[in-house]
Amino acid sequence: MQTFEVIWTFFKIGIVSFGGGWSIVGIIRNEVVPRWINEQEFLSLIAIAQSTPGPIALNTATMIGWEQGGFVSALGATLSVVTFPVIAILTATYLARFLKLRADTLNESLKTGSIAMMLMALWALKPTSVDPVLIAFALGAFALAAFTKINALWAILGSGALNAIAGPAIRALLGIKG
Amino acid sequence: MKGYTRQRWSRQKSGEKKSPDKPRLIDFFVLIVRINSFTLGGGYVIVPVMATSLEKKGWMDESEFYDLFARAQAFPGPMALNSAMLVSLKLFGIKGIPVAFLGVILPPFLALILVSGLIQRYGSLPALRRFLDGAGAVVPGLIAALIWKNSTKRSWNILRVVETAVLALLLILLPSLSLPLLLVAIVILYFIEGLCKPLK
Repeated sequence: MQTFEVIWTFFKIGIVSFGGGWSIVGIIRNEVVPRWINEQEFLSLIAIAQSTPGPIALNTATMIGWEQGGFVSALGATLSVVTFPVIAILTATYLARFLKLRADTLNESLKTGSIAMMLMALWALKPTSVDPVLIAFALGAFALAAFTKINALWAILGSGALNAIAGPAIRALLGIKG
Repeated sequence: MKGYTRQRWSRQKSGEKKSPDKPRLIDFFVLIVRINSFTLGGGYVIVPVMATSLEKKGWMDESEFYDLFARAQAFPGPMALNSAMLVSLKLFGIKGIPVAFLGVILPPFLALILVSGLIQRYGSLPALRRFLDGAGAVVPGLIAALIWKNSTKRSWNILRVVETAVLALLLILLPSLSLPLLLVAIVILYFIEGLCKPLK
């Protein structure tokens, strides 16, 4: 039953998964938090999904599937999140002669949609913890990703490593509880 | 032996006329698996890697690839998967679809099963906990950066500003309805964009 629920949820997510990975994060969050995991776990999950090979929606599906029901659920969630996209591409290829959607018009409306989706994701995932070290990591990542060409991967791994190695020392120095 | 004759034939042919070589399905599969195993950072990183690798192999020009990529973006689904499937469809016809599909899906699936297993096993270690907390903390920052990048690249007009704001607000206020809301919104946005086109 749980497996079926995971598969159905990720099938639905797959239908609106346009806009290149990050825009879908907010939608996934609304579907899985707090039903299956909490906010903190979700953030870590997204960080892992982004720093491992593969598309973010797919990786998230695999991990949540795995946590909910092992290998079968992981496989089911992974396949179901791409079921609709694959069907859409196959159908469109065969209907291209009959159905004349204007690709540039569609792309413009999808751009509007995906910026709105990312705004929602930012709202849903806005930092709630008052831990200044974690907030500093978020601000640093923003600056790095918005104003340099450095791969965002380094922000993820760097913050993770820094927090793992020096986190307690920094917090002790600042006199806050971790 | 067969591969050798084939190679010679295509070399002779390309001497006469400069047309891209047609790869064997297995070679294409290996390339897709390799790209999807070692490229970290999602669609925006993987797409340029695909473009250059395909051109380097002589299977598809970069410009042709980016035409397909523009089409791939109009579909839901990961950009890496969509582009790989459209490229494969172009090169091999319908039998290319399962090849591209498996090539994109398999490597991350196996990697994530491994990572999930490791986290399940060692997730209670304090150092790993702190690593995951630190890594997770940057996620809102990265999303904000992407909003920044996409917004500065976008050609805005008043209508698009209003559309984006209204849709974002609706998505925030009605989280349980986000899926149907988006589907309806995309259809409406498509028609509004279409209607406004002749005015510009």
